[in-house]
Amino acid sequence: MAKKLVAVTACAAGIAHTYMAAEAIEKAAKELGYEVKVETDGAIGAENKLTDEDIENADLVVVAADIKIDPIRFTGKRLFVTDSNDAINDGKAVIEKAEKEATVFGKKGGKVGKIQIGSNKEKTTFFTHVMSGISYMLPMVIAAGLILTIANLYAFQKDDLGRIVKWGFDTSTPMGMLMSNLFQVGQVGFKLMIPLFAGFVANSIADKPAIAPAMIGAYISNDPELLHAKAGGGFIAAMLVAFIVGYFVLLLKKIKWPKILQPIVPIMIIPFIATLFISLMVFYVIGKPIAGGMDGLYSWLNWINANSASAPIILGAVIGAMIGFDLGGPVNKTALIFGTAIFTDTMTKYGIQHANFVPGTAAQAAISVAPLGVWLASIIWKNKFSKDEKAAASAALGMGLVGVTEGAIPFVASDPLRMIIANVSGSAVAGGLVAATGCKFYGGIGSPLGTFIGYIEQPIPFVTWILCVSAGICVTALIIGMTRSTAVIEAAKSVDE
Amino acid sequence: MEKEIFNQTNIFFDNESQTQDEAFQSIAKFVSYNGYSTSENDFYEGLKNREKESTTGFKDGIAIPHSNDDSVVKPGLFLVKFSNAIEWDSLDKKPITVAFVLSIPKNGSTEHLKLLSKIARKLMDENFRQTILENEDKVVLATTVDEI
Repeated sequence: MAKKLVAVTACAAGIAHTYMAAEAIEKAAKELGYEVKVETDGAIGAENKLTDEDIENADLVVVAADIKIDPIRFTGKRLFVTDSNDAINDGKAVIEKAEKEATVFGKKGGKVGKIQIGSNKEKTTFFTHVMSGISYMLPMVIAAGLILTIANLYAFQKDDLGRIVKWGFDTSTPMGMLMSNLFQVGQVGFKLMIPLFAGFVANSIADKPAIAPAMIGAYISNDPELLHAKAGGGFIAAMLVAFIVGYFVLLLKKIKWPKILQPIVPIMIIPFIATLFISLMVFYVIGKPIAGGMDGLYSWLNWINANSASAPIILGAVIGAMIGFDLGGPVNKTALIFGTAIFTDTMTKYGIQHANFVPGTAAQAAISVAPLGVWLASIIWKNKFSKDEKAAASAALGMGLVGVTEGAIPFVASDPLRMIIANVSGSAVAGGLVAATGCKFYGGIGSPLGTFIGYIEQPIPFVTWILCVSAGICVTALIIGMTRSTAVIEAAKSVDE
Repeated sequence: MEKEIFNQTNIFFDNESQTQDEAFQSIAKFVSYNGYSTSENDFYEGLKNREKESTTGFKDGIAIPHSNDDSVVKPGLFLVKFSNAIEWDSLDKKPITVAFVLSIPKNGSTEHLKLLSKIARKLMDENFRQTILENEDKVVLATTVDEI
């Protein structure tokens, strides 16, 4: 087996010599037949960070730094300390010297170079894990979202009166069949992105053994049939699953397994136990509240509906807020189902003239607010979004315009608290305004475009609807732009490229 | 390499400097003239202070002087070629004919600082060093750096 060398490089400005020294050591170590890993402690923080495992397995540790580096983590290892220029000048000579002169750090009286116990920032946070998951999920959201967008555009058709209210695919024609298939493709992508996201968040926390349990757990938590609920838990439940699995697996890794079991611990024991654990958690701890919560929300909406007939703005705003809350999750689905149910119910009882359009219309007005709000914010505050996020925001624009709300999910997942406040506020504004102005949504796209591709009765044709929805979008964008934190921006940019 | 950090106008031929101090002066003038530092004098002091800590001279006549003083307003990379070889106390004791200058803002974004660190890594590549040393044409030099 190849000898293992780990190194840390650092310099004053943290831009130039840190990296030159790293490059020099990497090259020289490979030439000398080492397996090598070099951590760079530069101005942008530690990169390629040495894990406890790396250090434990290393035969030799080299620190090439002009500033103080905390050596405490190298206790018990053979350590050689030099400055960056030495390594840059002749990496090979430094390693050869280290082989001869390195001393075990922490041995009595063993003092090494000018290093000192000092700062050593641990930079993994909640955001690091979530951003890692998002970076894997983004391509899928975008690909699936765009395909769904194309299919959705095709799905709206005129009824006998020439109003665009019918939604569906005429599968008897080749084109209709194709679009119907594409729609399914998009749906598959949206279904897969949830476990994919959870899997890689868990991977970021606890490495490979956590991927399988997190993916399986998140899939179950998002599947209405498996949960025996009217909707799956969406991305919020998936995040919960990912973090539970991540830390549970970390815990399992700490256990001192018997020697004979050790080789199969990461590939069999941990995934098996963690999958069993999370599945039961999802069924009995996460799933039940989702189903129960949806029923509770539904009765609450009924109560509001019955008690706010004179002020439709209240019901409209509540429905809007729910749509923006979890973007396709259980709260969102409850609001959608309620809107359709109330409409169908009142229409069969009192006829179309007296049907209750409020919740259904508010839901449709709110659907596009989150993705379009995110897009608008990314246009106004360019510097507050990473390159990947800007690409995702353009895709969110496409999705938002055809009423696919999921385009905003990556952004919410990366910064749940602030983003949910922004989306809920904007969506409530849009829902409340269309209810207050008495818009009636008969059918079509749930976005500003619905006024053209769809049929909406409104006080001022075309204009009222667009203004109401746009007001919501602006509110969301404004809150996002004003509250976006540097921690989130940094984390997002660090996974770029 | 991003245009804001490096473009052809960041290449400069210094035909006058004979000493390291003169080189620092002309570098500081050039960097602040190009709008990367708000104070020629502060940047000059920054270069000198950095040099005091340890040499920025490298091998094969290349140095990588840099400053992160408060006058730096944006991250930048500058390629300076000297017609007089300059004493620099470099690692192989050869005088310097090429300087890669970095302006490093105190609050630079991670993205940009990463780009600057890439050039440092690239300097360890001998082919890259040869191309920079052997060419005098701005377009060739700019393309070579742009490929980083």
